[in-house]
Amino acid sequence: MDPQMLIDTTALTDIPAPHWFVQFFKTLGFALHAIPMNLWYSGILVAMLLAAFGPSAAKRFSARLMMQMPVIVAFGVNLGIVPLLFLQAAYGKVFYPATILIAWPWLAIVFLVIPAYYAVYYYAFAIRKGPEALTWRHHAAGWGAAVVFFGVGFLYTHGLSLMVRVDAWPELFMAHNQAGAALGTATNLGDPTLWPRWMMFWGLALTTTAAWMVLDSAWMGVREGRAYRCWVRRFAPVLYAVGFVWFAIFGSWYVFGTWQASVADAMWSMPNALLTLATGAAGVLPLVLMWWSKARTFRRWQATAIAAAQVLVIGLNAISRQVVQNIELRGYYDVLAQPTSVEWGPLVMFLVTMVAGLAVIVWLVAQAVRASAHPAV
Amino acid sequence: MHFPWWYVPDLTSPMLIAFIAIIHVLIAHYAVGGGLFLAVETGFAYKTQNSTYLDYLKRHTRFFVLLTAVLGALTGVGIWWTIGLASPLATEVLIRTFVFGWATEWVFFVVEITAAFVFYYYWGRLPPKTHVVIGWIYGGAAWISLVLITGITAFMLHPGGWLEHRSFWVAFFNPQFIPQTIARTGGALLLTSLYVYLHASLTLKDPKLRDLIGTRSARPALLGSILITVGGIGWYLRLPESAQAVLASAAVLNVLIAIIFALTLIVFILLYLGPYRNPGWLSPGFALALFLFGLAAFSTGEFIREAVRKPYISYNVVLGNQIFPKAVPGLRQGGYLEGGVWPKAFVSMRFPEVIVDGKIDRSRLLSLPPEDRLLVGETIFHYHCNDCHATTRGYSPAGPVLTGRSRESILELVTHLDESHFFMPPWAGTEEEAQLLTDYLVHIAPPRPGGMIHREIVSEQDP
Repeated sequence: MDPQMLIDTTALTDIPAPHWFVQFFKTLGFALHAIPMNLWYSGILVAMLLAAFGPSAAKRFSARLMMQMPVIVAFGVNLGIVPLLFLQAAYGKVFYPATILIAWPWLAIVFLVIPAYYAVYYYAFAIRKGPEALTWRHHAAGWGAAVVFFGVGFLYTHGLSLMVRVDAWPELFMAHNQAGAALGTATNLGDPTLWPRWMMFWGLALTTTAAWMVLDSAWMGVREGRAYRCWVRRFAPVLYAVGFVWFAIFGSWYVFGTWQASVADAMWSMPNALLTLATGAAGVLPLVLMWWSKARTFRRWQATAIAAAQVLVIGLNAISRQVVQNIELRGYYDVLAQPTSVEWGPLVMFLVTMVAGLAVIVWLVAQAVRASAHPAV
Repeated sequence: MHFPWWYVPDLTSPMLIAFIAIIHVLIAHYAVGGGLFLAVETGFAYKTQNSTYLDYLKRHTRFFVLLTAVLGALTGVGIWWTIGLASPLATEVLIRTFVFGWATEWVFFVVEITAAFVFYYYWGRLPPKTHVVIGWIYGGAAWISLVLITGITAFMLHPGGWLEHRSFWVAFFNPQFIPQTIARTGGALLLTSLYVYLHASLTLKDPKLRDLIGTRSARPALLGSILITVGGIGWYLRLPESAQAVLASAAVLNVLIAIIFALTLIVFILLYLGPYRNPGWLSPGFALALFLFGLAAFSTGEFIREAVRKPYISYNVVLGNQIFPKAVPGLRQGGYLEGGVWPKAFVSMRFPEVIVDGKIDRSRLLSLPPEDRLLVGETIFHYHCNDCHATTRGYSPAGPVLTGRSRESILELVTHLDESHFFMPPWAGTEEEAQLLTDYLVHIAPPRPGGMIHREIVSEQDP
């Protein structure tokens, strides 16, 4: 059967924003979500490994990251709303069928993240009192959270990969239905892109963890002492390099081993070829910045530059991912051909609120920074 | 139809939405009212230099953050997940109509969590005035989130003039918006006091402080009860005519309405006699009883709010059988299976012999062997009926509902669904499809139970 027949073409209400606006916010939202998400995806595992096997400075980094983790997870979940919202606004015709076919694994994400997030809090509240406060239950909670978030990354990739593999739908549907109603028990494990995408992103997450380590040590961890910051200076580039190599290996597998001809043709033609190359090579920039100076600790300007470069790396990945997604779908459904009727009033309301909200957040963070200078009462 | 139907045995997939939504609603209202509570009470504690109360408020904030920022936030995500899985068509329409409403609400959500974390983690390090201002920023942002989400959920019960003028503002300022905003604001205030009472009664030993909390939180709770009543009356008066009729005609809803009134009255009386007049009554048992009565009243209210929309998922916009109302005549003409992307794909792949020139040949459907006819009937059941009915057991199961009915009677019911019960969706298929669905329903309906003497009397008297 022609898989295209499984995509509904009924005209609903028009998309109330220009396509560029939806694409922009979907991509921006994903990039913003990816920053904290990277930190829980690989950061918790790194933190647990360092807590178990690292020297004292490594244990200190582990404690710092895990104390920050409740806030990181909160913002990661929150920032995930934006790409999901704009995804559903424009990609519903393919997003809903794909997720319904794998409904139970997809829904499991919510039920896995809830206990994992509580486990993070459980560990974080204990580690605030010092490493001696950690019992085997706290360690179990920390390791459990690390494993669950790692698995959630897989489930997420699993769902969004299926969204663009429309050709796999008929077989999955017929193998997992009850009289034509989807059972939601299908899996997309046969998708050749699934494994390298999952692993490639894990490499990216390792590099983000390394970049965060640098930023944290230079700005928030100055009270930790020189020995700690010297350790970060030595360890972060190594961690970044490992992540980058991992990313390069699985990224190569993904690009050269799984891209369909249509995607490869489009992504290796100008100007997309530049994007492809930049996405693959961008990780060199933070790495070079990490090795740049001979100083024994990271300077603030250097840490800021590394963080900015890492944001660029994540941003390029998000843009490439969006371009590839549109190309993969184009054979079945042209998302950008859907009719739009722009509603300027609500659009402006959103933008104005966003600017005002950002101003309030900046003020809130400024109060927090100012308060950090005072000891707790 | 437009999307694959997700079959969840016994429970039905929409009930998963209800399950997650009830948990979320019970926490989300506390997330709003709790913000206002913390802002007001922290200000009061600073002003009166009551350090014991401040210590308690810090502990309460920790509980508040743990409950609202984790379970509250993630069940909110869970609602998104489940509505997309169980009601994709309605979700797609809602998202396209309200994308900027949701996006704006997201901004307030970011402000909320930033404020909540700064409020909690920098407790004791922020100047008191700044601390209270941050509490108010949280409370204000949370309340605006409530207002924005209420505009969207209220639309699902009454789209107002949106069908004629498809604009965001017409959809948002629908007839149900103001009553529901009032009721939900009241709910947030009331529910928060009940959470506070329970938390304080379980964690505080100091009777003086417990009395103070009892008295101070009674007023917003009583105000909340009044707002719920006012909003509830407005909600009823501005219901669509058919929704009012559903309330009047469905026995289960009558009972639930009686329960909700009784529970609200009980909560009101307990609040007045307990924390307001006799704060010393605030024992863990009393607080727990109050809390459970409140949760029961709230959950019942949410259930009723959902039920009165029938036969729509989104009133006058998307029907329970996963179609737009305007699609019904075409589907009656051309066939429900033929008109649905996924049921048609299933029939095409499972029974290619019924496909002629790329279309389902209705007469060939009836020529299928009996077991295949049952399977096609079941397909129609899933897409047309499973939104509200499980099959043989579970949530409102169709089989037991039809116990003992004759084939003719079931066929008559199927072809005149919305005439036999006005809160059922219209039949949206051909005569042949009605026959197939009837085959399936007859198959799953238990025979008429024996033991009723009047049947024997009547059959003896029949010639």
